[in-house]
Amino acid sequence: MAQQLLNAIFIGSIYALFAVGYTLVFGILDVLNLAHSAVFMLGAVITYSLVVIHAQPFFVAAAGGILASAVLGLVVEYAALRPLRRRQAPQISALISTIGLALIFVSIVEQSKPGSPFAWLWRDGANSVRFPADRVPNATYHVAGLTLESSKVAILVISILLMLSLGYVMRYTQVGRALRAVAENPRAARLLGIQVDRIFALTLALSSALGGLAGILFGVALSDVSPYIGRDQVELKGLAVIVLGGMGSIPGAVLGGYALGLIEAIAFIRFGSNVEAGVAFLALFLMLVVRPQGLFGARLRERL
Amino acid sequence: MRSGIRALVVGAIFLLAACGGSSGSSGGGQADSGSSYKGKELKLGAILSLTGAGAVYGPSSKNGADLAVEQINKSGGVNGATITLDTQDDASDKAQAAQAAQKLIQQGQVVGLLGPTLSNSAVAVHPLAENLRTPIVAVSTTGIHIVPDCNYPKTDPCKYVFRDSLGEEAAIPANIKALADKTHPKTGALLVAKDDKFSADGGEIVKKAAPANGIQLLGSIEFSKADADLSLPVTKAVQLKPDVIFITSLGGIPAKIMIEARKQGFTGQFLGGNGFNTAVVSKQAGDAGRGAQSASAWFTANDFKSNKEFVTAYKTKFGQAPDQFAAQGYTGVLIMADAAKRAKLSFSNVSQDRDNLRNALESVKIDSPLGPFQFTKNHDVKQTIWIIQMDGTGGFKLVQKIAG
Repeated sequence: MAQQLLNAIFIGSIYALFAVGYTLVFGILDVLNLAHSAVFMLGAVITYSLVVIHAQPFFVAAAGGILASAVLGLVVEYAALRPLRRRQAPQISALISTIGLALIFVSIVEQSKPGSPFAWLWRDGANSVRFPADRVPNATYHVAGLTLESSKVAILVISILLMLSLGYVMRYTQVGRALRAVAENPRAARLLGIQVDRIFALTLALSSALGGLAGILFGVALSDVSPYIGRDQVELKGLAVIVLGGMGSIPGAVLGGYALGLIEAIAFIRFGSNVEAGVAFLALFLMLVVRPQGLFGARLRERL
Repeated sequence: MRSGIRALVVGAIFLLAACGGSSGSSGGGQADSGSSYKGKELKLGAILSLTGAGAVYGPSSKNGADLAVEQINKSGGVNGATITLDTQDDASDKAQAAQAAQKLIQQGQVVGLLGPTLSNSAVAVHPLAENLRTPIVAVSTTGIHIVPDCNYPKTDPCKYVFRDSLGEEAAIPANIKALADKTHPKTGALLVAKDDKFSADGGEIVKKAAPANGIQLLGSIEFSKADADLSLPVTKAVQLKPDVIFITSLGGIPAKIMIEARKQGFTGQFLGGNGFNTAVVSKQAGDAGRGAQSASAWFTANDFKSNKEFVTAYKTKFGQAPDQFAAQGYTGVLIMADAAKRAKLSFSNVSQDRDNLRNALESVKIDSPLGPFQFTKNHDVKQTIWIIQMDGTGGFKLVQKIAG
């Protein structure tokens, strides 16, 4: 049971880290960035490619992966969001354009023809690769009958540290205040001299860096890097998490992530995998019906 | 009028003479049909999983089949006819597989088909081929109800469906028995992907075969093939402290399960099905897979002529070692070619040709990399079973040979 609890906490950390990026964009731009799952995937794929194809040490590669993810966040902002905002297009257009961008990202990675940038993913004939064990530090410890992998412990520590520091930045720094002001009322923020477009770009970069990091940790801890990890594993669950926690709420996304990990584990242990697969969406559904503002969304106006 | 009758009689005599002549001289019949084959195109199709979960198997099947086509065409084709093989990717998806089959049969006008890669897709493709009266040879599907009852739960035998891949119903019990006879394990736990026909069928077979060999199943743990995080089901299995963990699943999943279970301190034996039998899985599992045992339809180091030549040619063409799926794909084309040779094809009436090919398939008898090859009267394969273990470095070693 204790081991299962640990499993739940580890996967919960990944959900949380992914969902924080999701919710950050929603809170500030009022847009659901559905390309977030593709950035998550690219974070893992780019890091893998730096480690295996370009022979970089893992930590250098991970830094590269996070940086690339941040840049991809800017691509989302400049290609999919900003032009629509300029035109004052309805919110739904932004949602759809991010879906389009996600499809483009995935299909770039999917190409298996020799010469395409990620053709090596398919070299083994399998469309899922795993980080070579000797290149990525992942020692396994056995403590009091429990199995602890350093990669999973790192996920836990990194997630908590990052989320705490994000909370600090949001609350106590100039940038954080600017972000919150924009979330509250972009027009008022602009009148106060805040460069709203720059804040939007910053948000996308920050959110995508977190998403990319979540992808890297996912790839290392679950031995699974493929074009589909974002779409299949975290996209909809991330959505469930932020609804669970309250749309736009960072603490809500964190606790929602852990809550979902736990709910899934309990559902698996008690009822088996059929129930586990559906439980995220059952939680999402119940939340929307019973408490649409989410566990931690006090009032919808006051975000972040 | 009279001259008309005379012409008919003369014509009839010539005709009789021609027939008599050709059937009289030995081998003449073949030469005759050979001349009508010459320069023609023998259109075959294949539905394989080149992407998606089945992509650990499909590309090998394709390579094997392509190699056979190339070799046959180089050495004069099928009585002079050139084989063309149109391979369609089904993306490991049942609906796409059925679509591809329909396209090949109706637009491609193929006389015969190979595939599909996954049993899950065969459920859709085989009844379709049966319906459209097109012979199909399964080259990697090993689930139950593939042949002869492709329309399961209907039990009437399908006339157009054949398979050259060793079924799990024969392979898994043979594998369990081989281990039980040697190390006498007492307890086992089963990890089964519930949402995939191949895996679920394998699970059912284990549930019957384990107790029959004195192994008590402590638990049967289901998971979804879409789960990336397998730590929950693996933890559940390891905590039962079984002597053996049975894994019936495919793609990269068996490797992930073995890695996770070893991390959690499991030191017992892994037993699996056909999902183990590819170098990709052995390589992905690495050290965690060492000793994982399965029953295979083929073994790389068999040194009878047809296998040795196949292995050498494959390595030369693709720069890597073949696996079981490559051998079965290769054999699939050899089977088609052998049947086509004897089928007296017209190359103008496709539906007649399909029927002729189907009839000729029943009496195929060739030497293949799998060993001497024949179909049973149920259109299934009858062959030797090779018990193999992963060697921890991406290959396999032979532990036992069970005559078919």
